Amino acid sequence: MTKRLLQGNQAVALAAVKAGLDFYAGYPITPASEILHELVNKKTVKVLQMEDEIASINAIIGSSLAGAKSMTATSGPGFSLMQESIGLAHMMEIPLVIVNVQRVGPSTGMPTFPAQGDILQCKYGSHGDYFPIVFYPNSVAELYEFTFNAFNASEESLSPVILLSDSYVGHLYETIEETDYPISKRTLAPLGTSNRHFTGLTHADSKPATSDPEVHKKFIKHLEAKQKKVSKKYNNYEYIENKDSDTLLIAYGAMSRVAYDFKEDFAIYRPVRIFPIVEKIKAIAKKYKEIVVMEMNTGQYANEVERLLHREVKLLPILGGKIDLKEIASKLRRIKKKK
Amino acid sequence: MTKELTYLNYLKQELLPTQWCPGCGNGIILKIACMAMEKLDFQQKDTVMVSGIGCSGRSAGFFDLDSVHTVHGRALPVAEGIKLANEKLNVMVISGDGDLFGIGGNHLLHASRRNTDITVICISNAIYGMTGGQCSPTTELTSKTLTTPRGNVDSPINVQALVTAHNCFYARSTTFHFNHALKCVFEALQYKGFSFVEIKSQCITNDGRRRGFKNSYEMLMSYRENYKINNDTNKLEHNEIGIIR
Repeated sequence: MTKRLLQGNQAVALAAVKAGLDFYAGYPITPASEILHELVNKKTVKVLQMEDEIASINAIIGSSLAGAKSMTATSGPGFSLMQESIGLAHMMEIPLVIVNVQRVGPSTGMPTFPAQGDILQCKYGSHGDYFPIVFYPNSVAELYEFTFNAFNASEESLSPVILLSDSYVGHLYETIEETDYPISKRTLAPLGTSNRHFTGLTHADSKPATSDPEVHKKFIKHLEAKQKKVSKKYNNYEYIENKDSDTLLIAYGAMSRVAYDFKEDFAIYRPVRIFPIVEKIKAIAKKYKEIVVMEMNTGQYANEVERLLHREVKLLPILGGKIDLKEIASKLRRIKKKK
Repeated sequence: MTKELTYLNYLKQELLPTQWCPGCGNGIILKIACMAMEKLDFQQKDTVMVSGIGCSGRSAGFFDLDSVHTVHGRALPVAEGIKLANEKLNVMVISGDGDLFGIGGNHLLHASRRNTDITVICISNAIYGMTGGQCSPTTELTSKTLTTPRGNVDSPINVQALVTAHNCFYARSTTFHFNHALKCVFEALQYKGFSFVEIKSQCITNDGRRRGFKNSYEMLMSYRENYKINNDTNKLEHNEIGIIR
């Protein structure tokens, strides 16, 4: 097994190549550009620098349909531009991987600083109902591993899978082992094999469009069931039990690395597959009186957790990309005292 | 052209008649595309049709080929992705002027710059027909539409200049000049690189009737009157149709 010192973004690029990436289209954006830089030097991957992120996602929709394992990487602003076509990929059931290395928003925000402001955009960013699979690793080794998982889950679910990162883990250097994880095969026959019609319109098997509400209801149910079934294979989370504590601290991505520092005082839960939410959290949460969600936004995941658990969840928003351990410690102490 | 062209083999005949209004030009262009493919003996296994959104966007679904109906304005990057992932495929795009020059204008600029080997057929009817008849990027100056009730104050986009700026294949024709349009598409499909065929087409329902035309026949006759074929030029005048490469 080879050991290598790699940056988070480089690890994503390397793992993508090993997972069988054939085609990449992207647009330069801080802090995700290193993925593009890495891939242009890989001989086995066709890399296209497009005119914008809208063109990028649509180009990989085309390439994926033509039979190529395809990926794009971006950050918040580009991810916003991609939303319409993410819906298209769900509707046409196309396997894709979209990497989002998050930075401070809204708008241009602070491009070089980490944030976790795109959590809800992953789940609700496009219009209509769809059920994306989203992974959010917190280390370079995990980014490497979950790039494989993202490709596999996308092939198994025939849907665009989102790999979340942030400018902290994306730019972090760590030593990893270059493991060859198993790879799922392509099941979608490439274009040029029959007379199928791929469309964003609600469609019945042989008709290009329909206005039958029953067909639409059936299709949405099919999407939900499919995503649930595939995501069961990826029930990834980390739970550090603490029998002396009555408070569960939930954090993910960069913030979960901060949370480890407080495992003496809190139990810690870290979702890795952040959507669909891993159901295990229900059982774990029952053991604790209080739940605190610490995240780099004003409570996006906290609201989702609250809705799932039907109980109050305390927020600990860390905004502006500044991760100050002392400040966080005092805020956590305050939360503990208030009870 | 000794062989009789049947063109119907390239269509999903069970879906006919189309849902387009009587008098619409889209069907003529569908037929032209089929005949051009037939002349070149394009096969199902090596041809893909891509379209955008609008009345013209529904075209792709009628072809008896693998086809992709993308979101608004994005037919070109999808087609480029397909072509670059599998260069053996013949990739064609059929879409409207609003889709290709309005919402998708930036992609036209860059697809032609990259000179990707795809063929684009633009159904250029100078109107947003599906949404009720709003002014489009190709609507003539002073022309009346739903959104320009006192006449369009902007000049139409110069597609010829845009496409030929990158030395790509550009052809202009109309639905009246059937054989000429067929020749344009036939030549475009054989061109190695980015080829663009703009076919002026009539929308009687949401454009012509507001501009005083009684029926689509009158609109077709106006193409006969207004456009002259020029086979020997490297720049088509406003009232000329022909091929620039």
